[in-house]
Amino acid sequence: MVLLVSTVTAVRAQAPAVDPAAAARGKGIFGANCSFCHGAQATGTEQAPNLLRSPLVFQDKGGDVLGPFLKTGRPTLGMPSFASLAPAQVSDIAAFLHQRLTEVRGKRLPEAALLVGNADAGRAYFNGPGKCSTCHSPTGDLAGIGTKLQPLALTTAFLTPQAKPEQVRVTLPSGEAVSGTLKFMDEFTVALIDSSGTYHSWVRSSVKSVDVTDPLAAHKEMLPHYTDTEIHNLLAYLVTLK
Amino acid sequence: MKRLLLFSSLIFALFPPTLPAQNVDSATLLHPPADSWPTYNGEYSGQRFSKLDQINSSNVNSLALAWASHFDFGAQSFAQQANEGRRIKASPLLVDGVLYFTITDNVWAIDARSGREIWHYAWPNNNAIHVANRGLGIYGSWLYFMTPDDYLVSLNAKDGTERWRVQIADVKQDFFSASAPLIIGNHVLVGPGNNDDIRAFLESRDPATGALQWRWWVDPDPGAPGSQTWSDNATMMKGGGFPWLNGTYDSELNLYYLGTGNGVPMDRPPHPTPDGDSLYTASIVALNPDTGKLVWAYQVTPHDTHDYDAAQMPILFDAEFNGKPRKLVAQISRNGYFFLLDRVTGEHLLTTKFMPQTNWAKGIDAQGRPIPDYTKDANPPGALVSPYPIGATNWWAPSYDPKLGLLYANAARTWAYFTTAGYGRFRFPPQYVTVAIDYKTGKVVWSHELGDQSAVLIAGLITTAGNLLFTGDSTGNFMALDPSTGKTLWHVGLGQYVTNAPITYMLDGRQYVLVAANDTFFAFALPEPPAGAGQSASAKHR
Ligand code: HEC
Ligand code: HEC
Repeated sequence: MVLLVSTVTAVRAQAPAVDPAAAARGKGIFGANCSFCHGAQATGTEQAPNLLRSPLVFQDKGGDVLGPFLKTGRPTLGMPSFASLAPAQVSDIAAFLHQRLTEVRGKRLPEAALLVGNADAGRAYFNGPGKCSTCHSPTGDLAGIGTKLQPLALTTAFLTPQAKPEQVRVTLPSGEAVSGTLKFMDEFTVALIDSSGTYHSWVRSSVKSVDVTDPLAAHKEMLPHYTDTEIHNLLAYLVTLK
Repeated sequence: MKRLLLFSSLIFALFPPTLPAQNVDSATLLHPPADSWPTYNGEYSGQRFSKLDQINSSNVNSLALAWASHFDFGAQSFAQQANEGRRIKASPLLVDGVLYFTITDNVWAIDARSGREIWHYAWPNNNAIHVANRGLGIYGSWLYFMTPDDYLVSLNAKDGTERWRVQIADVKQDFFSASAPLIIGNHVLVGPGNNDDIRAFLESRDPATGALQWRWWVDPDPGAPGSQTWSDNATMMKGGGFPWLNGTYDSELNLYYLGTGNGVPMDRPPHPTPDGDSLYTASIVALNPDTGKLVWAYQVTPHDTHDYDAAQMPILFDAEFNGKPRKLVAQISRNGYFFLLDRVTGEHLLTTKFMPQTNWAKGIDAQGRPIPDYTKDANPPGALVSPYPIGATNWWAPSYDPKLGLLYANAARTWAYFTTAGYGRFRFPPQYVTVAIDYKTGKVVWSHELGDQSAVLIAGLITTAGNLLFTGDSTGNFMALDPSTGKTLWHVGLGQYVTNAPITYMLDGRQYVLVAANDTFFAFALPEPPAGAGQSASAKHR
């Protein structure tokens, strides 16, 4: 409890001052554009996450992170792009979100709170039962990952890495096979782009087999099996990769 | 020419078309004829099972488009820029050959034979949360719908003219409204939503005047039963739990069954101790619709800390359980568990996990409720939790096939990383699946993958006596599955994913299946007999 109180004070001391007029304008802009997904108080709905727990919002200062993010959004994940918002509108939204963060501040701890694991146990898991070392190297592809990513982003990066193009091999009734980068697949059709850049598609019931190779298959397979302690230890180890 | 056109549209404006007198009385609502769909679920039980079998498993492969009708919501003036509230999420009503449906702020009457607009009603522009509108209620010749800014509006079903409006809640307190009003006897049941710390309720309004008949509070009065499950009165009196979908009704027992929302805030006290269930949030409740009095309640998520509300449809059916005929209520709940109760008493019969990766609970207690594992709360070191708050399922209308004794729902495999520093969002999209659950065992007897191509899959389901289950997948296919095996029997690509629950009805001797994807309705039927069969072509075209 004592620890909790002192951390909270520390965070409050860092909190940027919010212009109440900007926050009030931002509340209106947020209300009209964002609230029906993120909730009027930005605390999330069935549609979209709580922005008062968003690392992206925590890192933002005056719209510097929010602005570029809103330009593109994440349309495939249900977050539309808001390219038409003026910079002043974005900074007003940011002011509103930071005001809301200040209001709920007492309930939030800094990301350092995530670092409770044992780095040695994490290294052992990485090289042992986790089989991470069969694909990754702490001095190769993961070198510097502890500097590149903040603890929460790093945790989600190893739990669910960014999607990579999947490869697919379609075998036709003749026995002939066509391979390439998977463009689209559902229950009924499959489409790929072959190495010459040509697009092919088939009705799935007309082909013999479809074999997809997902580079993230191992990560998807692992997700349900981590214990929280393994995750905490892995994080403690990965942040040492400076 | 121009003048002529102007003149005719003027006439149209002065004399909008009127429809034959609708008269939906209580008897119609209790026993809807095959050529109607007069409530959100078609009838009160929430089974979404149709006795129609003209379209069936042996001819479904020739099912064809009868009409498609696109609604240009872009032409409406919206305060919002994004699309969520502009999708057709409503279950349309069908009465006397006319379909009535909504999107936020808008009501349409369209011809069920052609999809053509008969009239359109627009509510003034407003800045409320426009998450969805799930449809209308009808009683006599009057329609009822909720506006995003929390008015209950009654319209004349004939021509869409407004009869009256009453305010249910204050939009300035961030209330919003998305559910379809449900008419039971002489009551219009309506409930708004709110994501903030505020006291939640359901109301009954007079269908003739809109006057308040009763209000039931989800969070009890200080000292009343249930209040002992809260840390303190101040927390309780803004403890949330809005029933944001409508429910189901048993006319013999005269009980209204409803799922309530989750308590707020997620880290409300007492926390993280296991006591303090926060009744009657995240519960299935049975209310007397005449008085609004609670008859029994069963909580499916004690002291929720993950946004697992229990708003999902409580499905009513009569069947044998452990050798005894029972009146049952089942819920395939957002928290990843399936619940079966006796709906007379609320007695617990069965709890099972329908999504195996669900990990927020460490067991089942003596009353069949999951026991929360508080190490899976948002805590400083972080916890990997399934399901993600969108839930193992959500408002996506479920169904029950009484011939097979199977319940169906669309469900999602999802994960999130809960911490006090922030909320880890995952880049693996939810994987959607239709599950079939045997009510006797709670076991999933088959599941059908729906893909992971859309961020939100929201298609609901229906089953029919034609041995068919209709739903949509995450890529925009509308499909008929075999309800006993989950095998696909028919599909069509709609180009956009299904956004409501399909309905089915009989019109002029022809069975239709109607579904919406975003801004378009698609009606399917078996091909018409060739022209000339029975009557001459000229007679037909006269
Ligand atoms: C149509 C619904 C919708 C609307 C409207 C919407 N968002 Fe989002 N937003 C989402 C969803 C869904 C996500 C999560 C995407 C993901 O899974 O990464 C998201 C994510 C975000 C994130 C990133 C959170 C994180 O840490 O990953 C921010 C910041 C954000 N939205 C801000 C806004 C703002 C500001 C607006 C209004 C200008 C807005 N959103 C409007 C649906 C919406
Ligand atoms: C079968 C191979 C395989 C295994 C095993 C594997 N990964 Fe990965 N991992 C990948 C691939 C492929 C990617 C995505 C490509 C990339 O970013 O390098 C990835 C991405 C990552 C990333 C994101 C890197 C970035 O820059 O964003 C992290 C962190 C990571 N993995 C950590 C781990 C950890 C920890 C384990 C063990 C628990 C593990 N991986 C096991 C193949 C694997």
